[in-house]
Amino acid sequence: MQTKLLQEHAQMLLDTAQVECVIGYSLSPRGLTRPMFIYRGEDVEQLVWNQHSSHNLAKYLREKIVDLGDTGKVAVVLKPCDTKSLNVLVAEHKIDRLRVHVIGMACSGVVKDNNQERLQDRCVECEMKQPLVYDYLIAAEHTPEVSPGEFDQDSWQTEFEDYSSEQKAEFWLAHFDRCLRCYACRQVCPVCDCPTCLFERDDSLWVGPGSSIQEKRMFHLGRAYHLAGRCTGCNECERVCPVNIPISKINQKLAQVIEGEFGFRAGIEAVPSPLLTVVSGKEYGG
Amino acid sequence: MFEPKIIAFLCTWCSYTGADLAGTSRKSSPWNIRAIRTPCSGRVSPEIIIKAFDEGADGVIVLGCHIGECHYDSGNHRTAKRIPVLKSLMELVGLEPERIRLDWVSASEGDKFSKVVTEFNETIQALGPAKWLTKGVGVDVPVLDETKVLQREG
Repeated sequence: MQTKLLQEHAQMLLDTAQVECVIGYSLSPRGLTRPMFIYRGEDVEQLVWNQHSSHNLAKYLREKIVDLGDTGKVAVVLKPCDTKSLNVLVAEHKIDRLRVHVIGMACSGVVKDNNQERLQDRCVECEMKQPLVYDYLIAAEHTPEVSPGEFDQDSWQTEFEDYSSEQKAEFWLAHFDRCLRCYACRQVCPVCDCPTCLFERDDSLWVGPGSSIQEKRMFHLGRAYHLAGRCTGCNECERVCPVNIPISKINQKLAQVIEGEFGFRAGIEAVPSPLLTVVSGKEYGG
Repeated sequence: MFEPKIIAFLCTWCSYTGADLAGTSRKSSPWNIRAIRTPCSGRVSPEIIIKAFDEGADGVIVLGCHIGECHYDSGNHRTAKRIPVLKSLMELVGLEPERIRLDWVSASEGDKFSKVVTEFNETIQALGPAKWLTKGVGVDVPVLDETKVLQREG
């Protein structure tokens, strides 16, 4: 139902030339979805919306707007959680909100890639069923055909709290040791968008592109730190990780810290991260 | 007595001069402090601090100008917000947050410089060597989730 409404709206946008391009989802050969760029009205049948629509399409906005030059709008299909990423990008002046037409989708959760009976962990406790910002809302909710279930908690998540700092270091080193430095986590992240990544430059003085365990740990910690106050918890990084590093654990922790220290949650409104502003009132570290 | 390696990042406009003052006014400060002069405490990015621990430091202290006295207006504001966040991050990944310290020392506070670094040195001596480069303490680390990999290939 939502797919139908989405296609009709995209058709209208393209036919009346309100937008140059619609960024949405299409079916992938494996029965999941993949990102799709639609430029012509006759192609809109390829657009779909279903429980596999996991990608955070806010990622593609910036490049697409740059591609279009000085004028022209882009329409993008965003889930409620993805609109938080949009807010972060707008707050940092990465994209011009006036050049984006947001097709907000009411969402009742997306399922895991490897277990289509279960909602993704981020969706289990998600309260956000409606997008925060949108220019056009597609409200008809698809009936959830999956039971939300519980978190698929690995046993380590409960044990982790009791670890000594030495054990924690060992734990994370073992995880980071598997890292291939494929940068999938970085490429998929909507707010990880430096033109040249610090960790890929060969003239960085403190970090390197190497694959020693120290450099891999530095990459993950550095990346997590750069996302502090900007990460909206879409967990795409963890989903795409080929070696299953629990990246979101670090990002969640930092989001909690930012909320505790500064009372700030990324993406709820289009305001920049408190780490980018001056101290005020009771905010004071030391 | 354990003699830790401590890296001190000193803002050139205040704490570096403060450290000089501590020296010229014959205040004692521990010799384990390795001072590195930076243009501003805001220049000390988290990567630099992590790198110091990667290279075997037992503690890192960042000293900057008091809030409102930054030579660049707001550099120390950034530091004031970033260091507490970095401490929490390092605590999660296995470094005691006490090993990182941020304090403000102006150019005229030779006494305070001496006091702060002495205190910090004692803290680190009490904590012992950093376990940041540890290997093989036998944590049961979960192996790769094979179902995920198989699904991806299929």
